[in-house]
Amino acid sequence: MKAKVQVVLCRCCTEMPALLNMERLQKLAAESNNVVSVMTVDAACDGKNLAPAINEAKEKEIDRAVVFACHKKDISPAIVKAYRRAGVNEFLVEFVNMREEVVLPHMSEPERAQAKAETKMKAALIRSIMLAPLERQTEEMKTRNVVIIGAGVAGQAAAHEASKAGVHTILLEKTGKSLKAPGIIMTNAQLVGASGYGGNLQLKIKAGEKIENLGAAAVVIATGGGWTTLKGPLAKSVKDAVPLYKFYEQMQTGSVPKGPIVVVDTPDPAGKTMKVQDYAWDDTLETTIELKKKHPETQIFVIFQEMRAFGLSELAYKEAAELGIKFVRYDKGGAPKVDPKNPGVLMVKDFAQGELLNIRFGTLVFASIPPNEDNKAIAEALRIPMTMDGATRRGSIQRWPVSTPRSGVFVCGSALFPKSRDVAKAEGAAAGAMAGEFVKRGRIEFGGIVALVTQEKCSACLTCIRTCPYEAPFIGTASKVEIRVQACQGCGMCVGICPSKAIELHNYTDDQIAEEARVLLGGDF
Amino acid sequence: MIVAKRKPLNEIAEMLAPYKKVTVIGCRSCVAICLAGGEKEVKMLVSALKVKNKKEGKKQEFEGFVVERQCEKEWIKEVEDKVLGSDVTLSMACSLGAQTIGDMYPIHLTFPGLNTGIFGVPEEQGVWSEKCVGCGNCIIHTTGGICPISRCAKSMLNGPCGGSANRKCEVNLEIDCAWAAIYDRLKIQNRLDLIENVTPAKDWSTSHSGGRRTYVREDARLTPHQKKGKEAVQ
Amino acid sequence: MAERKPKVIGFCCEKHGMDAAVLSARSGKQLDASVRIVQVPCTGRVDGIHLLKAFEDGADAVFVLGCLEKNCYYDTGSIEGRKRVGYVKQMLTEVGIEKERLEMFNSASSNAWAFPDAVSKMVDIAKKLGPIGGGERQ
Repeated sequence: MKAKVQVVLCRCCTEMPALLNMERLQKLAAESNNVVSVMTVDAACDGKNLAPAINEAKEKEIDRAVVFACHKKDISPAIVKAYRRAGVNEFLVEFVNMREEVVLPHMSEPERAQAKAETKMKAALIRSIMLAPLERQTEEMKTRNVVIIGAGVAGQAAAHEASKAGVHTILLEKTGKSLKAPGIIMTNAQLVGASGYGGNLQLKIKAGEKIENLGAAAVVIATGGGWTTLKGPLAKSVKDAVPLYKFYEQMQTGSVPKGPIVVVDTPDPAGKTMKVQDYAWDDTLETTIELKKKHPETQIFVIFQEMRAFGLSELAYKEAAELGIKFVRYDKGGAPKVDPKNPGVLMVKDFAQGELLNIRFGTLVFASIPPNEDNKAIAEALRIPMTMDGATRRGSIQRWPVSTPRSGVFVCGSALFPKSRDVAKAEGAAAGAMAGEFVKRGRIEFGGIVALVTQEKCSACLTCIRTCPYEAPFIGTASKVEIRVQACQGCGMCVGICPSKAIELHNYTDDQIAEEARVLLGGDF
Repeated sequence: MIVAKRKPLNEIAEMLAPYKKVTVIGCRSCVAICLAGGEKEVKMLVSALKVKNKKEGKKQEFEGFVVERQCEKEWIKEVEDKVLGSDVTLSMACSLGAQTIGDMYPIHLTFPGLNTGIFGVPEEQGVWSEKCVGCGNCIIHTTGGICPISRCAKSMLNGPCGGSANRKCEVNLEIDCAWAAIYDRLKIQNRLDLIENVTPAKDWSTSHSGGRRTYVREDARLTPHQKKGKEAVQ
Repeated sequence: MAERKPKVIGFCCEKHGMDAAVLSARSGKQLDASVRIVQVPCTGRVDGIHLLKAFEDGADAVFVLGCLEKNCYYDTGSIEGRKRVGYVKQMLTEVGIEKERLEMFNSASSNAWAFPDAVSKMVDIAKKLGPIGGGERQ
């Protein structure tokens, strides 16, 4: 069937005609192959303006459109929706940014801008003919289960929040401790395997000695930090060193810790792997200030690489210093270590003075905790990436602070990095809310711009499987790669890397990209 | 699998310089997997040579594609027209492929685009290390599963040599001493007694040193009666 | 002789790459009109084939603009983009083409200067090195 293109030229109020010759653009569009309708609007961003174009699209049975306006992200949702009503496939509506690519940056070169605009139009129309209609699909979620791994502060908060969305929460707790939380609680339970994709996961849970299969729509990882283990050379050389949270608990019971108190940021000061996070400073300052106020005669030292008290805790830093708590900064070259000749003395090179200090300590406290060893097992079971420090990786600190890159799998609390109980609880609530909202929808939507494998060309080299962060490619029954469309994000990384060019991404095929580039380079401006 | 590496592009360009019409043929098997001669590499090579010609004002015609397995005559036969229609064929397969085309069309020129290579294991994506040199008489059951012929620089059968230090090889400091690894492996298998056995000198006639080798499965060969009528591709 | 206008083409990711380009335009930054942009979903989609073909099709300089590696919208896409560019740079060197003609850039979406900086850098290179093979354009 022959393609029928509608071209919409937007004046961007007055900006376009101020620099470009609109009549020439209209003429060029009208004379181009397959273009059966050319409309000019004042502002494509205003829905009312589009009505005539949509009506004409319906009349002339347009099957694809090219809109010459501004930034796609700002205008596409409404326009695509409008075209859908006219029967145009959503993936056949293309947007060309004339405003920010041609008009605004070339205000002093109207002739070149015009030639560039005409070349861009030519390229866009050629591209439009090459496009294929794509379909999105939906799949029903078979369960409304949100499985929360870990019943600590974060996990319990997640369970509470998720249940508000009306979903079923299942809390998996590794230990046998008794708990109260909504939904089902499984103690002595661990996740040992998983398959499927967000919305329809199949989990393998080890409960006691049995392995149980459980379907889930979403998973929240709340496995916490490695609270019970202190790993690192300093922890090894001081047998009764305590983690900060335990030290604080002991303080609350009224016991008087043996001074001088020395708080070190990490049990692995010269190491590369441990990141010391905000938790260390927030709670360290709070704890040491409280201690110093209760026992002003006790000497307190805080030994750190980087003091990062965030927000208002900076004031606590000031207060602590004024109370007489001594802060000693070191760098990896002068990292603290226990004096081999005197086990009650910590040697550290003060960065500011350059002097080697010998600090006698009665209690050694560590402010940060290594990542939980369970993280690796969970990451392997759910096939999610980890960070270089051994924590669970999240999708993006800005957009998805409590999600992993894998759809339907959320993460919160100290599983990401050590943090105070308040922050962990807040994150748990956030992850629970996200999971609840995701599962409440009852279905997942996927497809459209996704990768597709031509199996005859696939060499089964495993490169795409190793590269994709979303676990979309997998070896199928034909021993060739298939794409798990539900997980594919449409980035095209696998397409760019496939050595046998067996994978394609519509509508960004090699031919489409190459042709657009060729036409643009052919323009004389 | 066989792991090969593309020759430097200037070397390839020099090889092809005297010829006008070039067919570049890659392979979908081993060389695609080791990222040297699959369809992508073929296309990139052709493009790079075209850019070079653009710079030098030269004109050559290139056609690039892949076949399933370049060492099998049937697949070469399918593209015979393209091979014979060119002035020279550049093979982007391992040398087996390049020689298969060469043997099928002896007057036609077929040049190697890759340097073959090793029997390599992908240690991680993008890294292939040699673990076998095809000696023809595998003894790794006596060395805990680690091949001393390929992984020991001296191919010792009764190692380690006196130069092994800190588990590193004295010939090539970058590599681990294979015999240290063999020792560790036999130890965890509780078979350290094997290391005390003296292995006699190797009969190298099964390896390349005995001359070009041919492996035959008599039961798989076609009888003259079966071959009859299939002479088109022998 | 007609003045040689440089031909520069950039493959920009639709996420932070294009956001940076749009922000720079909306901030009033003016650019040399020689630059063309092809949008891709992610710089990980960019294939060495596209980069080399761009040179074949007349580009004097080619760049790839993606998200900052630590904040790529698709997690590791701009890392892949960087590797592709690196490999083609090596190929260009082997055929005697200046590897400066191809470059990888990364930007946050909030950086209004990254895109103009990248464009002016590549336009300068295009002007300095001229078209591949010199001479008039076809």
